[in-house]
Amino acid sequence: MSQEIVQLLVDIVKLIIIASVIMGIFTFILLVERKLIGRFTRRYGPNRVGPFGLLQSIADAVKMMLKEEMVPGHVDKVIYVMAPGMALMTALSVFAVIPFARDTVVLPLESLIGFSVYLTPWVADINVGVLYLLAVGSLGSYGIILGGWSSNNKYSLLGALRTSAQMLSYELPLGVAVLSVVVMTGTLRVTEIVEWQTQFAGLAWIVFLQPVAFLIFFISALAEAGRAPFDLPETENELIGGFMTEYGALKFGLFQAAEFVHAMMFCTITVTVFLGGWNMPFLNEILNIMPTPIQALAPVLHLGIFIGKSLAVYCSLIWIRASVPRMRFDQLMAFCWKWLLPIALLNLFATVMGLAITAELLGLW
Amino acid sequence: MTNVIEKIQAKYPSVIKEHIEFRDETSITVSADEFHDLASFLRDDETLRYDLLVDVFGTDRLKLGHESRLAANYELYSVPHNRFLRVIVEANDPEINSSSNGMQSTEKSALPSIPSVTDIWSTADWLERETYDLMGINFVGHKNMRRIMMPDNWVGHPLRKDYPLGGEPVYFNHDRENPRFAHLGKPLIVGPSYETELPEEMDTEGNMVVNLGPHHPATHGVLRIALELDGEKIVRAMPEMGYLHSGFEKTGENKRYEKFIPYCDRMDYASPMCNNLAYVMAVEKMLEVEIPEHVQYVRVILSELQRISSHMIWLGTHSMDVSGTTHALPMYCFQQRELVLDIFEMICGARMTTSYFSVGGLRWPLPGAFIDAVTSFLDVFSGELKDFEDMLTKHPIWIRRLKGIGLLPAEVAIDFGITGPMLRAAGVPLDLRKVRPYSSYDQFDFDVPTATEADCYARYLVRLEELRQSMRIIEQGIEKIKTVPGPHRTADRKVSLPPRAEISTSMEALIHHFKLVTEGYRPPQGQVYFANENPKGWLGFGLISDGTAVPHRLRVRGPSFVNLQATDYMAKGGFISDLITIIGSVDIVLGEVDR
Repeated sequence: MSQEIVQLLVDIVKLIIIASVIMGIFTFILLVERKLIGRFTRRYGPNRVGPFGLLQSIADAVKMMLKEEMVPGHVDKVIYVMAPGMALMTALSVFAVIPFARDTVVLPLESLIGFSVYLTPWVADINVGVLYLLAVGSLGSYGIILGGWSSNNKYSLLGALRTSAQMLSYELPLGVAVLSVVVMTGTLRVTEIVEWQTQFAGLAWIVFLQPVAFLIFFISALAEAGRAPFDLPETENELIGGFMTEYGALKFGLFQAAEFVHAMMFCTITVTVFLGGWNMPFLNEILNIMPTPIQALAPVLHLGIFIGKSLAVYCSLIWIRASVPRMRFDQLMAFCWKWLLPIALLNLFATVMGLAITAELLGLW
Repeated sequence: MTNVIEKIQAKYPSVIKEHIEFRDETSITVSADEFHDLASFLRDDETLRYDLLVDVFGTDRLKLGHESRLAANYELYSVPHNRFLRVIVEANDPEINSSSNGMQSTEKSALPSIPSVTDIWSTADWLERETYDLMGINFVGHKNMRRIMMPDNWVGHPLRKDYPLGGEPVYFNHDRENPRFAHLGKPLIVGPSYETELPEEMDTEGNMVVNLGPHHPATHGVLRIALELDGEKIVRAMPEMGYLHSGFEKTGENKRYEKFIPYCDRMDYASPMCNNLAYVMAVEKMLEVEIPEHVQYVRVILSELQRISSHMIWLGTHSMDVSGTTHALPMYCFQQRELVLDIFEMICGARMTTSYFSVGGLRWPLPGAFIDAVTSFLDVFSGELKDFEDMLTKHPIWIRRLKGIGLLPAEVAIDFGITGPMLRAAGVPLDLRKVRPYSSYDQFDFDVPTATEADCYARYLVRLEELRQSMRIIEQGIEKIKTVPGPHRTADRKVSLPPRAEISTSMEALIHHFKLVTEGYRPPQGQVYFANENPKGWLGFGLISDGTAVPHRLRVRGPSFVNLQATDYMAKGGFISDLITIIGSVDIVLGEVDR
């Protein structure tokens, strides 16, 4: 077996592992969300299944799977069945370019198969990674639109219409906000953006340098992921679930999963692009003076930091969900086009000007 | 009231067929032909100005010995002059003569008729439809004379006296041999589907028509709103109801007066205490009973506690309508409501269906811990209320969602017969507790909060301020019952049961006890109408007594029912989200809408 094939196999295995781990984390996140929402509303949250209700999500998943798979008679069957999978797939595939840690682990297998196997902490490190993030991330709306359209239900249709308008609109400020970051770091490669943030002892988090871009990105990401207060595609109390109205059993579960994974995805992007990725301030400096066995643990540490940060961002989403009223659809659109986009453009302009002036002063042209 | 009568007689000398003063209420009887002119005169004349049509209800006077059998009662109220007037309109005989049996008259033209006054008071729309539906009076000139409570294919008019009461056999065991239960254990069969009845003016081709409800999370029950949508903009919103119609009025007409009290709990199940109060006050007005001071104060305290709990449901569900089910406020509000319900449970054992007020007093004396429980609740609640305000009042999204939505200016509101916080949010300080104090409200010091914007946000602010005023009233009430600790019932033995100890010593007490339990009390012949200020608006009870222990006619005017009528006016031109906000700010309880 040649090295390329082995490396490809390793990548495929990694894909499967990441996808399953993400789904595992999703069930955990679901529990965290329900527990936290419970606490915010002075309830206990789920606490009946397993110790502290830890098995609640599993019970829910089993319930979803064991329910009768029903396809209503009036729907467009192919698209109807396809839509939930599509929503979930696009949400999952974004994780391919997210770097979960820094160091590539080398498995010294030369004595066995004649070459070393490299275990990178990402699936793919493509040179236009940021574009990939935005492009695939926004594909998620297709699942929702198709689901709402094929359901042949008026509420679903309204939900799908809202989704398409909302996601297309918020795509713009989201992209422009990330563009400011790209201009600053000078790269489209996700790993390099994270690496850029390790400067100055890991204090160069882009959130400190680009707070406006961060805010715009965060708000747009909420809207893109359809989270409160922008959960208009769903609006359980107006459109009775919007695009999900006609779905049940596992397909409904997939939609739910897609929604949560979508939100998780935006959390990881936020962490990667704005919050220093797997790095913590002074972490590398401390690790460098540590003995080698501890240094070897760095990937695990990085992974832990990454997950912790993402979880913290996710918890802020839950907090927002429990305390902020929902916007109306026209207000949502007006907010995007009248406020977010102009501010994002101004921010981009200011960034470019700032960089140019700095370069001029320092004589870097 | 004589000047009102004189005024009418000066303009229409021969219109008043009969003029009755009973229990400080004025009723005039007129014939159907002259009613429409008289109605517009009553509304438009400066010195009369009966601008608020409180209620319309039909009466079947089959056994009362009147010349014409069916009549409609119009309860009018003048906002500027603060007085009531009842106009009893005797229906014209039908053009086609049919038998007097209500079961057979399905054609509208075969029904007795009265000219419609929908062009004078918009609120008459649904009230006349209800009268047509339940009593079988055809209102000539009404644009949409359809059934409102009963199914469209219903035969007969249930509130007529000759309409049979129940009589269906009730099966207690399921016999498989019986063809009646042949469907049991078999797979469900697809039932036939029927065309939904939509108003004719709805454009089903050009616009999208959506049925919001009857099973929809934002309609607070089984309310259906037929929405005509242009995109997401609402062209027309037509509420349809009757899914929860339980025939409370018919039930009440077949029970003794005091037996109806538990039914009141089940109408506006968010405020049973206030419902009880309105009903017992109506009966007491008919009986002219003196109510001890202690009872009056306790009734005020409990009604205000109930107002707090009802407004908590409103705030919780309203914030849920606007924000989604995961918003934290609904739970906070329901927690405060729980505390009120705990107090209710302490005093009468029931949390929602209290039935604590009885005619002539309270069912039981207050428990000793009542005062402490209420005081500690007020301590907790005043802090919580501040938190609720902090969460919403200045929240930019909350303001954007509520400000300018569901505009209902004062003139329109009065025209639609709107009462309660919705009317006060339009700048009309009309609160029955203030303008016609009942149950010792005149001894309490409180303000009537108003706002002028007349939108959902103004309603929100008014209701929040009402909560604070209710707390003030309760505090004063607690001080008052400390000085007046009893008795909890009137001493009038014709109305209220004698104490147990007295029965074993006094022959008279025994006789009273026996008479009350076996026969009940018999109010004199006459008609009263009593409305109180419920958390949602005016809850009115109309009673007609024929001298027996059973009311001849029992009418309930639910504030939710009347207030809901303005939905179309408020929602027109808005978005679906606005409609949800508006339904939340009207604060309806479907048990009361359908009754």
